[in-house]
Order: sequence, then structure tokens, then C-alpha cells
Amino acid sequence: MDELNINNIDLNELEQIPIPEGLEERLSRKIDEWEKETLSTTLPRHGEGDRSGSLSLRSKPNGSPHYGGDVRRTERVFSWTAIAASIALLMGLGYYTFTRVDGDAVTAPPLAERDTYHDPLLAQQEAERALTLLAVNLNKGMTQLEKAQTLSRKTEQTLNKQLKALE
Amino acid sequence: MMLAIVSITAHAQVKEFERYSDTKNVTYVYISKFMLQAVGKKAAPSVQGVNLNNIMNKLTGIQIITAEEKSAATRLKTDTQNIVKNGKYELLMQVDENEEKTRIYHREGKQQSVIVMLTENTAETTVIVFSGSFTLNDVTTLTK
Repeated sequence: MDELNINNIDLNELEQIPIPEGLEERLSRKIDEWEKETLSTTLPRHGEGDRSGSLSLRSKPNGSPHYGGDVRRTERVFSWTAIAASIALLMGLGYYTFTRVDGDAVTAPPLAERDTYHDPLLAQQEAERALTLLAVNLNKGMTQLEKAQTLSRKTEQTLNKQLKALE
Repeated sequence: MMLAIVSITAHAQVKEFERYSDTKNVTYVYISKFMLQAVGKKAAPSVQGVNLNNIMNKLTGIQIITAEEKSAATRLKTDTQNIVKNGKYELLMQVDENEEKTRIYHREGKQQSVIVMLTENTAETTVIVFSGSFTLNDVTTLTK
């Protein structure tokens, strides 16, 4: 049996083989059909939620190209891009709203959430004053408590002495 | 992210006292955690007999509310008493001296602890609210 060797094929002979009539038109028509099918599967998905088109493309038995996967991937990328862009826009608007300056006054955040002092040294002085007031009042209470404890101890000792003397 | 930052900042204050930021005849001062931390990074504050270092880094905010006008002072006192009552604060200390009365209330939480100091005298009524992640032990070290 003669083996077919690609090196022995004469290209000139091949060129002389007659091409079936209308093959070129049939091929280009088929390519157009595939193109139309691809477009029809991408468009209705948003409007109608029909997934059958893309599934039929994927399961095409005649080895035609699988456009469905790529299209879905591209769609997904576009969806995430749109979501990311919306979030970025909202953040930008939020930042603008919170930091917008009208003349000298910052419109937001609300008054209660703003620092009264912008100078750390003034804030330090006020914080120190507040904490010192707390400490001074705590000291007053603790001093009285210590006095009371001392008095209680002395009373207890005196009472114990008297009880021992009675025994 | 902005919302998160705003919510963290808002949480640093005791909400019930925030209304005084916009009240007539009342002075409202708020010192945030960021400002307190900026203070902490500088030289240690030197107040004789008071140790501020331990608690300064644990505070997330200080609110100071002062009212000199009589009706505003009375309202501030009543409101504060209602807040500590409804918020289930404990009376930590009461100091009545001459014409000045001081009450120190405390509430310890998992996320935030609060100390409210109410001082009233003939001239003014002052409420100082300390919030942060401190314990009672941290507070007592103030006087050492």
C-alpha cells in the first residue's frame, strides 16, 4: 500500500483540482450565520434572560467555534467594571459632599462629629484640664475614703482593747 | 470606606450628649481620638500628682459641655441625670464640698467604657464625658 508523503505532493497538481461550484459562497454564508447566532445569543440575555442560545452554541456537534464562553466572560467583566465604576462614583460624590468647603466653613461632617480644636496643643491643654479635674475629684473622694478607713481601724482597735479588758 | 470612617468617628462620642453641639447658651467642646493621639505623641503632659500617660492612649474622645445661664444649666443637669439613669451608669463617687457638687458616673462596656463627671456650682454646670477602652483600674491610676 502506497503511503501518502506530504513531500511528494505536487502543488501544481493540487491547484489544478477543480473546486466545487459555490463552495466559497456556501462557506461565507455559513460564517455569516455563525456571526448572527453569536449576536442573537448576546443581546437577549439582558432583556429576556434566555440562556438557551448560548447553551446551544456551546453544544454544537459539528465542531463550530464556541463563542459562548468568551462572550459570557466579557459580559461578566463589563458587569464588574460597571459595578466598580458605580462604587467609585458614589465614593467620589460622598467624599465631595463630606469635604466640600463653603467659604471658611466645612459643611460636613456634622457639627458634633468635628474636633473643636484644630491645634493639637490647645486640644492637649483642654484634655489635660478635663483629666486633671477628674483626678482632683477622684483624689477628694479617695482622701475621704482613706480617712474613713483610718477612723474605722482606730475604732476597731479601741473596741478590741476594751473587749480584752472586760475579759 | 468613607461611611466606615464616619461611623468610627461617630462611635467615639457618646451620642446622648451630641445634641449639645447645637444648643443655645451651652458650650460644647469635643476632642477626638486623633487629636488625643497627636497629644500623646508629643512630650508627656506634666501635671503634678496626676498621671495622664496611662489613660491618654486609651481614650477615644472627650466631650466637655458647659452651661452658665441658669435655665440652660438646670436643663443640662436634668438631662445628664436622665442619661445616666437610662444608660444604667453606676455612681462611682459623689463629692459635695461648699457650694460645689460633683458626681462621677461610670459604665464599662465591651467596646466602649464611659465616665461622666457632672459638676455644679453657683457659676456654672459642667459635664465632662470621657469615652474609650479603659477599665476602672486605669481610672484609679490617674491619681497616683
